[in-house]
Amino acid sequence: MSRRLRVPIAMALGLLLALAAAAAFSSANVSFRSAERDGKRVAEVLIGERPVIVLRTSAAGYSPLERAEIVASRLRAATEKEVQAADVDVGPVQSGYGVYVRDQLIVAAYEPEADAQGATTEALADQWRDNIILGLGYELPAEGEAPATEEQADGADAESSAGQQSTGQATSEDAATAAAAQAASADWTGQAQKWVPILSLEQEGVRVGMAQIAGPTAKVEQVKAVYQLRLDFRNVGRVYAYIPVSTISTKIDRVQGVSVWALADIKVLGF
Amino acid sequence: MNAKRLVAILVAVCLLGAGLTAAWAIDLGDILKVGGVLFLVNQYDDQIDSFITSALGEREAAVQGATKVVPIISLGGGGYVGAAQVVGNPENVERVKVVVQVEGRFGSGRAQILVPTTTDKVSGNPDRAKGVGVSAVIEFRI
Repeated sequence: MSRRLRVPIAMALGLLLALAAAAAFSSANVSFRSAERDGKRVAEVLIGERPVIVLRTSAAGYSPLERAEIVASRLRAATEKEVQAADVDVGPVQSGYGVYVRDQLIVAAYEPEADAQGATTEALADQWRDNIILGLGYELPAEGEAPATEEQADGADAESSAGQQSTGQATSEDAATAAAAQAASADWTGQAQKWVPILSLEQEGVRVGMAQIAGPTAKVEQVKAVYQLRLDFRNVGRVYAYIPVSTISTKIDRVQGVSVWALADIKVLGF
Repeated sequence: MNAKRLVAILVAVCLLGAGLTAAWAIDLGDILKVGGVLFLVNQYDDQIDSFITSALGEREAAVQGATKVVPIISLGGGGYVGAAQVVGNPENVERVKVVVQVEGRFGSGRAQILVPTTTDKVSGNPDRAKGVGVSAVIEFRI
């Protein structure tokens, strides 16, 4: 009996270790943090030690730090695969400009943010794009502008005056609403994906394995595991539910907006 | 000799006939079962949706978002048909017609792929509906 269990348990542990290693490797160099600049609280997104995006304004109910978390999650997911400089580009979005990695929107520059940083939306998006390219270790294209200095990379702080900031922060909430709509739309259509452990509790026993989940980037980042509750009625039917959770505990803490696309598991314990 | 041969042929024909009848009965039964389940899913989708939502809610695991119950067809794991609750934003959920599930078993392991799709034609590769997930499933064996 114990010998029969040894192989599946070893396989399950191997899968979990591989997942943990992959997650640690893929998300090592993108981070975000709160910082103080010119006496004001801002949020920074960093590649390695280099701040590549600085956010000063709230949008659609998200604080600068929450926005930075979302942007960092998107950037982390987008850079899990190898990214070339040409993959990072700027394109128009509703009421502003966005920075894309391939087809995935990473961050959008809207008027309140651009005003706060003393730039146009397009110029700010260009600046962020250049910073990301440099942060990834590439040179800027020859026809582009000169590479940003460290100070410029931090978000055009030198140019922004106190008056400009207050003007920027006071601009209409329509742009912020548009930002939220744009972001929500981008999140749902360009779904982030991740593999997480799955624990399945069934009549016959307990199974473990891995599940592929998908959803908005920030939500996917929160998911630590998937619980599967399952009842099998032999030769009649079966009932089951998938529950992505943010904590691995006996209390179910469901993460909304995340779905299960695929799974593979093995039986480790029979009842 | 001729009589023995005649008896053998008659027995073979009877067995073959019985086998064909059984096969036909199974196919007809399966078809009726699939059709019946799909009919019931379409007729009682709201009730099934409410049942799943309340069942998950009792365990503090209810989904937040637009939900809908659509037929699910499971292939590769013995054959199942039933109802799946899909969840997502309203316009995407509304477009979902069916969920296709592909299963495989290998020893004590199993693998499953869930594909909510906007087409009700089960042919070729199903096109995954964006922004929609499967939260729960009730299935009957074919």
